Amino acid sequence: MHDKENLSDVSKLVSDIKHKNILSSLDIALRSEDLLKELISQGQWKSARELMNLVKIRIQYIKENLPHEATAANVMRHVLKVIREEYECESKRKVEGQSLHQLVTAHPADVLDYSESLINLKTSLIDHLTEYKVELESSGENIAAQASEHIHMDEIILTVGKSDTVEKFLKSAAKVRAFKVVVVEAAPLYYGHKMAVSLAKSNIQTTVISDAAVFAMMSRVNKVIIGTHTVLANGGLRAASGIHAVALAAKHYSVPVMVLSHMYKFTPLYVGSHNQEAFNICASPANVIPYSAGKILNSIQVFNPVFDYVPPELVTLLISHQGGNAPSYVYRLLSELYHQDDYDI
Amino acid sequence: MDKKKEPLKKEKVAEDGLTKKERRALKVQVKKTEIQNVIQVNETIVENKPNPEKEKQKQNVSHKTNDTPNDPPVSGKLLSDKELRKLEWEKKLTDQKTKELESVKALSKAELKAKRREQQESQRSAKTSSKVEPTPTKTPSVNIKQSKTEPKKSPVQKQIIRKTIPIQRVQLVQHLYIDNSSESNDKNSILHNKVHPAFVRLGTQYSNKNVLGSNARCLALLAALKQLVDNLQTPPKQEFCRYLETVLKSCTNYLQNCRPLAVSMINALRNFNLQLTQIDTNLNDNEKRIKLQDVIDIYINDDIRKAGEAISMRVREKISDGDVILTYGCSSLIRKILLEAHKDEKKFEVIIVDSRPLLEGKEMLRRLVVAGIKCSYVLINALSYVMNSVTKVILGAHALLTNGYVMSRIGTAQVALLARAYNKPVLVCCETYKFSERVQTDSFVYNEIGDADLLRTTHTSETESPLSKTKDMNKLMPLNLLYDVTPPDLVTAVVTEIAILPCTSVPVVLRIHADEST
Repeated sequence: MHDKENLSDVSKLVSDIKHKNILSSLDIALRSEDLLKELISQGQWKSARELMNLVKIRIQYIKENLPHEATAANVMRHVLKVIREEYECESKRKVEGQSLHQLVTAHPADVLDYSESLINLKTSLIDHLTEYKVELESSGENIAAQASEHIHMDEIILTVGKSDTVEKFLKSAAKVRAFKVVVVEAAPLYYGHKMAVSLAKSNIQTTVISDAAVFAMMSRVNKVIIGTHTVLANGGLRAASGIHAVALAAKHYSVPVMVLSHMYKFTPLYVGSHNQEAFNICASPANVIPYSAGKILNSIQVFNPVFDYVPPELVTLLISHQGGNAPSYVYRLLSELYHQDDYDI
Repeated sequence: MDKKKEPLKKEKVAEDGLTKKERRALKVQVKKTEIQNVIQVNETIVENKPNPEKEKQKQNVSHKTNDTPNDPPVSGKLLSDKELRKLEWEKKLTDQKTKELESVKALSKAELKAKRREQQESQRSAKTSSKVEPTPTKTPSVNIKQSKTEPKKSPVQKQIIRKTIPIQRVQLVQHLYIDNSSESNDKNSILHNKVHPAFVRLGTQYSNKNVLGSNARCLALLAALKQLVDNLQTPPKQEFCRYLETVLKSCTNYLQNCRPLAVSMINALRNFNLQLTQIDTNLNDNEKRIKLQDVIDIYINDDIRKAGEAISMRVREKISDGDVILTYGCSSLIRKILLEAHKDEKKFEVIIVDSRPLLEGKEMLRRLVVAGIKCSYVLINALSYVMNSVTKVILGAHALLTNGYVMSRIGTAQVALLARAYNKPVLVCCETYKFSERVQTDSFVYNEIGDADLLRTTHTSETESPLSKTKDMNKLMPLNLLYDVTPPDLVTAVVTEIAILPCTSVPVVLRIHADEST
C-alpha cells in the first residue's frame, strides 16, 4: 500500500504518456525531471542510497508499463548518476577515474555504499537538477544552432515525417542559407504533411513526396536529416517506420544520414532488428485499411508497425547539443551520461 | 536493319514533340514581344518578361486587361493595324486556352459547339478587320462585332484562369510536365478531324486512370486499333495502308496527349507499323483489313497472352509449399501467377505491399482473398517489419531497359532494396514485348507525373490533410512520380517467356527479336 502511494507521481506520468496527453519527447523529459525534483525535495529519504532506490523503483515502473518509452527512464538514469556524483563530491571520496590498477587494488571497504547521510546533498542536488533542466530546455536551440555547419547553399535535404528538432534545425538553417527540402509524407499518419506546411510557411522551398518515391528521389538528395525515437547503445536507431528504407536508399546513393537527437534519447539498450516483437509496437491497422473495407478484414492480416530499426552502419552522424558524433562513439557518450551500474535496471 | 531504324524514328517523334512545344512557346513569346512593342505606345503593359511559367499566367491577365481598353471605338489607320495584330494574338490565346480547358475536363457537346462558334466568329472578325483595314469608315462595325463576342468569352476565361493558376512545378522535374496549352492545339483539330471514337474513349480512359497497368493499357490499345482497322474507309486515290498510317499517327498523338504512351504500347505500335509496311499492296482493302486484324490478334495471343502463361509456368515452378511471397502493387501478371499457383494447390502466403497515392494493392488483395489465398497487407513503410518472414519477392515491371534497369511503378526499387538488405531473392516478371531500347539510370530523365493533388489528401484517416488548404502556397509542392527504375544489382533474375535471365540479358533478347522480325 505504502508503495502504491509513493508511485502515484510516476503512474500519473505513465498514464499521461499512454493517453498522449504529452506527446513530444522534450515534454516527457521535462516532466520526468520535475518529478524527480519533487521527489528529492519532498520525498522520504535519508541517504543517497534510499533516494537512489526510490528513483530505481520509478524506472522499473516505467519499464514495466511502457516498455518502449526510453526518454523518461533515461532522464531518471541520468539523475541517478548525478546523485552518485554529488554524493562522492560531498563525502570527499571521489575516485579520480577508474584505472585498471585502482580496480584491481580496490579494497571492498573503499567501495561506496551511499549510505551516509549528508546534510548538503539535497540542496546541491536541487541546484544540479535546475541546471539540468536548463540544459534540457536549451538542447533544441543548441542543436538548431549547429544547422549552418551542416547545410550549405542550394542543397536538397530529405526528411521524413515530423520531428520538432528537425523542424527547428531546418528553420534555423533557412535564416542563413537557401536550400530545398523534400518531405516524405510518412503514411499512414501523414505527419509529413504538417511538417511540409510548417516549413513552407517559413519560406523554405518544400516538396512533398509519397513514401514510395524515396528511392527515386534519393539520387538527387544531398543530405538526409531525420529525428529519431531513441538512439540505441550500438549507435543504431529506433525510429519511425519507413526510415530503414530511407537509410538504405541513402546508403545506396552514398548520401549522408544525419540524425538529430537530444541527449536523453541515448539509451543503454541493445536490440536487433531480428526481434521485432520485443522491439516494435503495432498501432491500430485502421489507418492502413479502414474498418469500412468490410468482410475482407476477416480473412487478412494487416500490420501497422510504429518503429523501424536502423543499424548503425546506415547512420553517418548523430547530432546532439554537444555536437556531432559518429555512431561508433555512442558507447562513450553513454558512459558519460549514465553510471555503469545503472545501465540495466 | 529495318527494325533498328524504326525505334530511332519513334524516339525522334517523341523528342520532336517536345522541341515542337518549345518552338511554339518561343513563337508565342516572340509574337508577344512584338505586340507589346506596338501596344506600348498607348497602353501600359510594360512588363519585363519572366520565366515561361509566369508568362503564361501573365498572358491570361494581360489578355483580360486588353479586353476592356479594346471596347471603346477607335478609328485611324494606325490603330486598326494595331488592332488587327491584337486580334490575332487574342484569337491565338483563346484557342490556346479553350484547348487547355479541354484537356482538363471533357467538354459537353453544347459547350463544344459554343466554343467552336466562338472560334469561327473570332476568325471571321479577324478576316473582316484585315479586309477592312484600309478604310477607316468601317472600323466601328468591327468593334461592334468584337464587343459581341466578348461577353461570350468571359465565362470560359474565368474557368481557365482558375484552372491555370495553381499549376506549380517542381524545378527538378520541370521537363516532365505536359504543357497543355501548346500541346492541345493540335489536339483540338484532331478531335474534330481524324481521331477514331474508339481512341477518343481510350484517351479519356487513360487520362482518368480507368485503364491502368501496362498490359491492360496495351490490350485496350490493340482493341481500339482493331476497331479502327475495321471501320476505316479509304478516301479516293489513297492507299489503305498509307492512309491508315497517317490516321494512326494522329490517333497516337492524341493518346500521347492524354497520357504518355507506355513502353508496351510503343512496342506494340511499332510491331503493327512494321507489319503495315510489309503488307502486300496488291491486296484489296478488305483483304488488308483481315490481314491486319490477324496481325493484331497474333500479337495479343503470342506476345501477351502466351508469354504471360509461359512466365506463369516458370514462376510456379519456383513457388514451393510454405513460401511467403511478397509482392508490390497490383500487377496483372503477378496476380495471374499467384492465382494459378493457388489452383495448383501450392500452399503459400502472400504479403501485399501497397503505397500511396494509388493504393493499387487493395485490388490485388481483394482478388487474392476471394480466391482463398492467405494474405497480409501492409503499407510500404512497414516493409522492414515484414521482410524478415518473406521467402521470395515477386515484382511486376513496366519495362525493362537495355542497361538492365527495371522500370516499374514507383516504390518497386525500394522493395527490391529492402529485399536485398534482408537477402531475399527478387524475381521480376516481364514479357519480352515490354523490353525497351531506352537506357536510363535515374528516375527523372524520363518519367510521368501524376496528379499532385492526390498527395494533398489522406486516404485512410478521418482527419483532413493540412496540405489540402495550401494550394496557393508557392513554396509547397507535392510531387507524384509514377515510375522509378530499379538498378540491376537489386534484381536476382527476370522471368520472361524465353527463360529466367539476369537483367543484363535485355540487349541480347532485343537483338534476337530484331533478327526474327527482319
